[in-house]
Amino acid sequence: MRGSVRGWVGLVLFLAVSFPFAVAADTGPRIQIVGSTTVLPVVSRSAQKFMESSSSRILVNAGGSGVGIHSVAGGRADIGMASRGISPDENKRFEKSYLIVHSVGLDAVACVVSSEIFQAGVRRLTARQIAGIYLGEIRNWKEVGGPNRKIVVVDKERHRGTRHVFMQYIFGNASQRTPGTLLVTGSNNEEQAKIAQSDSAIGMLSFNWMNDDVKAVSILDQGKEILPTWEAVRQGSYPIVRKLNFITAGQPKGEIKAFIDFVKGPEGQKIVAESGYIPIGNPKSKRLN
Amino acid sequence: MHASIGARQLEPVGWIFAALNLIFLVSAMGLGIFLVVESVPILRLEGVDFWLGDDWWVGESFGALPMICGSLMVTGLATLLVLPVALSGALFTSEYLSPPFRRRVKGIMELLAGVPGIIYGLLGVSFLTVGVKDALNLLDGNTLFTAGLLLAIMILPMILTLSEDALHSVSSEFREAAESLGLTKLQTALRVVLPQSVPGIVGAVLLGIGRAMGETIAVMLVVGSLDRVPGFNLFASGQTIPSKLGREAAEALGSGLHWNALMALGFTLFLVVAILTFSGHLFIKRNSQ
Repeated sequence: MRGSVRGWVGLVLFLAVSFPFAVAADTGPRIQIVGSTTVLPVVSRSAQKFMESSSSRILVNAGGSGVGIHSVAGGRADIGMASRGISPDENKRFEKSYLIVHSVGLDAVACVVSSEIFQAGVRRLTARQIAGIYLGEIRNWKEVGGPNRKIVVVDKERHRGTRHVFMQYIFGNASQRTPGTLLVTGSNNEEQAKIAQSDSAIGMLSFNWMNDDVKAVSILDQGKEILPTWEAVRQGSYPIVRKLNFITAGQPKGEIKAFIDFVKGPEGQKIVAESGYIPIGNPKSKRLN
Repeated sequence: MHASIGARQLEPVGWIFAALNLIFLVSAMGLGIFLVVESVPILRLEGVDFWLGDDWWVGESFGALPMICGSLMVTGLATLLVLPVALSGALFTSEYLSPPFRRRVKGIMELLAGVPGIIYGLLGVSFLTVGVKDALNLLDGNTLFTAGLLLAIMILPMILTLSEDALHSVSSEFREAAESLGLTKLQTALRVVLPQSVPGIVGAVLLGIGRAMGETIAVMLVVGSLDRVPGFNLFASGQTIPSKLGREAAEALGSGLHWNALMALGFTLFLVVAILTFSGHLFIKRNSQ
């Protein structure tokens, strides 16, 4: 029964994101926004608000940070959403596109486990243990203080922002190979659903995607336990933090600039906070923290 | 040209048909040529290792073996599962059902045959993966087996209804003759009707296999998307050619070698389907002699 309830939750979540999300008005210029599913909630809400007072038509599509950056560089989108910076490799490849990063918020990535594992006592892991799990050296939860059950190692597609940030912290290499992986997922929805469906999975997710079936563990760093809380992020002690970015090719102009300014402005930053992230850049929005 | 078309006086309408036929021919050939041309850079670089290599890591190496194995295993399993069900269903519908009932069954089957893959995929990821995991007591339900099972369900209506067409189109004189010789209904169906409709059934199965081979989203959601040669283990996660394309195409668009490698994957799929269709026709030819 529980499984079927989860099934339905997964179904609804997939429906919500598998299809391109489009908000449309009739006239005016069209702004195409593509990329990170982490940034997507902020952008779709902002777009709705923005269009109330603008004639622009904004189209928002998911796809992942890599897709966002590539699409902007290839001229297939006006704004790319990315939950990571531009990698050195991408910078070199798209040198001619003059990619510019506009940060609009702050997010943190947690190491998450299935609720069954969390309840069975796996509440904290060191980076070394997580690395061991992803490298396939640790295969059973009992080796890290959990029940005697094999680990379902869930990884993300290589270009995803969440993966870059997570792997950078765990291995010091954003595109680390992970031979221990059992499943590869794409969007946050997909990863969340697959971890929820499993009873012995480990994965990586943005703080916002935790729920009753998917729990974040603390990071043990040199004997110190860092709880996966927004409090720790604000204090600067939580280690896996990343900026939520807009990417444009060259300086944005016209309606595109207006939209970016809107998201950076007080109204947009309020949406950033409502979406569960930390606003940045605008001193006025500090009180929203 | 002169011998085939010129000999018979073509009416103006005939020329229009010929022109429309040309559109089809040109697009089919254009597709093939496009795939070959786009694949050349990667095939020149990797050579045969493209098909024999088992490591796919963008920027380092492109080996398509995991995807090829996955595609063949998933499609093979789907075909094996679907054949007995589809054939017995088609025989029963054609030979035993009363005409009004038959029409209803056919209507439903044709309706089901048109259901898009994403619907099956969502149902698969929500229920089938969990069901397979619990029923077979696996570590995780996202496996090649799940994908094969889902594909079998997907292509069943199409193969059933097309095979039924083939069976039903066998002239009733044969049935009457067989019955007047004292054959039972079952004997007539199996020994008289079935052999006569083999070409039609083979065609139906080939179309079904074609759909299964090319199915992207439904497979992508349940197969696990892990680039690893699965050996003969159906109960492990894997990757198929279309699911790989679905995961990486958006990121690779316009980015050199990665894109070429994906196109070469597409070309490989094209070849496999072509070989299957060709051998199917060869089989029919040999059988009808």
